[in-house]
Amino acid sequence: MSSPQGSPDPAGAEEGASNETIGNEEEAGAQSEQGGSSWPQPQDTDMKRAAAQLIEKYYFQLTVGCGNAHCDNPNCASSGKVGTLTSNEAAGKALQLCAARARLCEVVGAKVRRASQSLTLEAGVASSVSGKGHSSASGNTATCSLVQDVNMASVSTPSSALPPLSPMVDGLNTATGLTEETLVHTIAECRSSNNYAKLRRLLWAVFSNEIALRHSFIQRSEPVEKKSELLVRNKSKDNEGAQSKEEIRAQEEDLDKDLDSAEDTACEGEAAACAEATPEGDTKDPCKDFATTPNSTALDISEVRRAYAALFECPEAEFSSTLTNAVVQLLSDSLGIQLRVYKDAFSAIPNNINIFIILLESPALNTTDFIEGVMPSLCRTIGQLPERDQAHLTRHLASWEAPRLHRLLESLHQLITIRLLTTEFIQDFTINDEEAITSATQVMKLLFYASILGGKLDTPLLRDLPAEDPSLEPSTHEDPFSSVGKDWAARPPPKDSLGSLLGIHVLDARTPLVPLSEFYDDFLSDQLEMDRDFALYKAGSSDKFSFLYYPFILTPATKALGLYYDNRIRMYSERRMSIYQQLIEGMAANPYLKLRVRRDHIIDDALVELEMVALDNPGDLKKQMVVEFEGEQGIDEGGLSKEFFQLIVEQIFNPDYAMFCFNNESRTFWFNPNCFENDAQFTLVGIVLGLAIYNNVILDVHFPPVMYKKLCSKPGSFHDLRDWNTTLYRSLVELLEYEGDDLEEVFMQTFRVGYQDVFGTSLTHDLKTDGDNILVSQASKHEFVELYADFLLNKMVERQFRAFRRGFNMVTDDSPLVNLFRPEELELLICGSQHYDFMELMKSTEYDGGYTSETPIVQAFWELVHDMTTEDKKRLLQFTTGSARVPVGGLARLKLIIARHGPDCDRLPTAHTCFNVLLLPEYSSKEKLRDRLYKAIKYAQGFGML
Amino acid sequence: MAATRRLQKELADIRRSGIKSFRDIQVDESNILTWQGLIVPENPPYNKGAFRIEVNFPAEYPFKPPKINFKTKIYHPNVDEKGQVCLPIISAENWKPATKTDQVIEALINLVNEPEPEHPLRADLAEDYTKDRKKFMKNAEEFTKKNSEKRPAD
Repeated sequence: MSSPQGSPDPAGAEEGASNETIGNEEEAGAQSEQGGSSWPQPQDTDMKRAAAQLIEKYYFQLTVGCGNAHCDNPNCASSGKVGTLTSNEAAGKALQLCAARARLCEVVGAKVRRASQSLTLEAGVASSVSGKGHSSASGNTATCSLVQDVNMASVSTPSSALPPLSPMVDGLNTATGLTEETLVHTIAECRSSNNYAKLRRLLWAVFSNEIALRHSFIQRSEPVEKKSELLVRNKSKDNEGAQSKEEIRAQEEDLDKDLDSAEDTACEGEAAACAEATPEGDTKDPCKDFATTPNSTALDISEVRRAYAALFECPEAEFSSTLTNAVVQLLSDSLGIQLRVYKDAFSAIPNNINIFIILLESPALNTTDFIEGVMPSLCRTIGQLPERDQAHLTRHLASWEAPRLHRLLESLHQLITIRLLTTEFIQDFTINDEEAITSATQVMKLLFYASILGGKLDTPLLRDLPAEDPSLEPSTHEDPFSSVGKDWAARPPPKDSLGSLLGIHVLDARTPLVPLSEFYDDFLSDQLEMDRDFALYKAGSSDKFSFLYYPFILTPATKALGLYYDNRIRMYSERRMSIYQQLIEGMAANPYLKLRVRRDHIIDDALVELEMVALDNPGDLKKQMVVEFEGEQGIDEGGLSKEFFQLIVEQIFNPDYAMFCFNNESRTFWFNPNCFENDAQFTLVGIVLGLAIYNNVILDVHFPPVMYKKLCSKPGSFHDLRDWNTTLYRSLVELLEYEGDDLEEVFMQTFRVGYQDVFGTSLTHDLKTDGDNILVSQASKHEFVELYADFLLNKMVERQFRAFRRGFNMVTDDSPLVNLFRPEELELLICGSQHYDFMELMKSTEYDGGYTSETPIVQAFWELVHDMTTEDKKRLLQFTTGSARVPVGGLARLKLIIARHGPDCDRLPTAHTCFNVLLLPEYSSKEKLRDRLYKAIKYAQGFGML
Repeated sequence: MAATRRLQKELADIRRSGIKSFRDIQVDESNILTWQGLIVPENPPYNKGAFRIEVNFPAEYPFKPPKINFKTKIYHPNVDEKGQVCLPIISAENWKPATKTDQVIEALINLVNEPEPEHPLRADLAEDYTKDRKKFMKNAEEFTKKNSEKRPAD
């Protein structure tokens, strides 16, 4: 149906959904309204509609009755001869009665009408004047209602936009906003009569009607009148004794809420007015946008939740199918059409987002019925929303608590899985064409951003960072690479329009509400035909869907495949170009990136060769790499490149080379700020890293996560210290948490900090001018910590990192790498997943205190360990060695020692993390060992004080 | 030296307080990050001698803990043959930047006086200590007499 107000017989459609005949008639009617002249026989439609109305009358008579206490019609509920019917039974009976032309009571509907009038009064006493005017003018097309709504909004602030009344069709009020009181009242009435037809009708009226839904649960602004009115009503109700005490209490709470929110609402009005004053579409300051818009929903969320809670206390069979059908009707008909046709007008309506917020609040969100019935159309509709509205909705989702968000995410995953399992995909109909899946992915994107927005953000946000100053680039003579024509400086990270609207970037996520890895859909990633998806991604047309635009849903392995296609295509096109070049210019251009190196001078040779290429034509770096070792006959089919990478990485990270400093605690390397090597060496490392990705080789490099973040153009900040320099980070947190006034005396810390270079020499740095004479105080401790982190992660290594990044970008500059991969995924791409080879560890382990590799308890220990999950193995490593990372060269380098710690007892195993010693009492059985060991690794945090 | 200010104060405080069990503190003027001092335990079997230790402060001090090494050989369940000692207060996991060096030294003296066989670095000594205290005492006393430094006169 194109017009919600034109919906003539909601109850008929409601019940008809379970009945073929009626359903079809309904649909026919709806089509005639949409299609207008295209329907050939209008009389036919009228007849059908008349029949449908008749059936509906019978239905009401069966379920509600005519209201006449002396009714003697055996098919009227008022006569008491009908008995309790389910909605389906009633619908079936109504059909039979219609066919038999059975007797129809005259006053049918009177009771309904009376009820709905009282509803109207309750819902909007003050609205009657404006509301009636509105309703009498209500047209039959969607445009009309849109225009009216916009008009209404322009004359009144959102809070006073009162729910309009609509014509009552067949005794039903279709356009009054629902309130909690109305609902609770109706439920109570239904419960006492044990007949839920009225509730069903109410639900249908509201949930199938976008205008009704948009005006539901609005924060009310006339608390005083309301209160008196309510009190009067409560009193009268009390006299009747029809209302339970709980209800009164609920209403009173509601009143308090009203009073509380009254002020807010007033402010909102002002805020909204301010927002109006600034030119529309000016999104320069998303922060402000963020501050004002959530209020303008004026939706009372707690009321929505209470209402749902009340509703779901009713027997589910009585209302759930009605609710589902109503929502599907709403989404697929009125809203869906509006969105497709009048997208811009739609977004101008205030409160339109309320509809989706209310629907998403449903407690039934992760029931199968909801997922299969409502979710597909809900996702489709949300996916069609203008981006501004999507951003708005995202902000609302960000206010959810994590478990709720998680539930919605799970529902989406489930929907995708169901669709993947039940749909048969063929050549011409791939996953990318399945709308339920693609729109679920679109909605998941909102969730993804909501999760970031609602979680902890990294400060400063990416958008607040000053652009890098190109004049800081090192002078040419230092680094031959810097003269390479193109500007290799930092690229701005890729923007996403939804992210920009929200003022955040994926890189800003510190601790999202839902871990971002929860968004991976393994099944989808497995099923997806990446070659097709990649082609669609490359084509870049907006009408075709590509999952690569939604990289959060794809596992890194699947994305790596996409990247692989991209790299191969580039390599082939480079190769083709060089052949053309050869033909045209007669030059013998090499179709490959050919490196000739000597094994014992691998760095120097690689440096010279790559320098030549980079100076000559950096594009050549994107050719397929072929390595030749001087004096060897091997032909590179991939194996030699691998060896080349392995050798060069070993060299680069060799402490003698002193390009990188090793941090013992996190087992990672960081740039040596006082390196003697020139920047070209670091550029080389960058090129090597880029080439490894480009040529699909995994490197044994160990950088802290912040390095990958920096490669994605986001500088390091305080919290990044945690994964690189844990003790320092923890100490700084201690400093921040110290609340005493004597911070200066206790810490005696100045703005001069010390650090060590790779040779162990102590150096100092002033974080501020004359830093040595400025003591850190309570007021300046945050500044100190930020400056310190900025120094260690950015300033200190700026020159080295810049050169490094330049090299990396030379290879990867126009690859979609940073669009597809988040920093942690980039690490996975470069280093592969950490390999926990505990067999290797077992072989290298030494024993002490009377244990040998033959001791039964030691053997039991290894049996247990080999059966552990990777998570537990990591915990065990963390427990015994203080770090869950695999050291360079594998676990064998750990030199683990297992020492006997007395005979059997109840003590837990302990560890000396400083020396990689695990102290294991000689437990009496393997079971006991298992129990003690798991307890130790799961609960022991901090030093072995158990 | 960044930590100079604090370390100089800590050093002055320790010297002024004159702890009996920790004396003869020597610090090279050019490098305040390394201290040496003499531990003079009260309890047997270590009260037969004195033990020289070295405290090494990292450049990042106080944001990273100091390290302690025994320069004098000691027969003790919590000190290994190389002189390394595992002291919870200065372990990376437990370190607090507000901790002062005198607290660290105090903890060390307590550990020397009262070995903790629960967390041994030398499992054999720990077992002797818990099971055959007599034997342990005898060995430790002999070892102390043979290897330790002279106790200061007063």
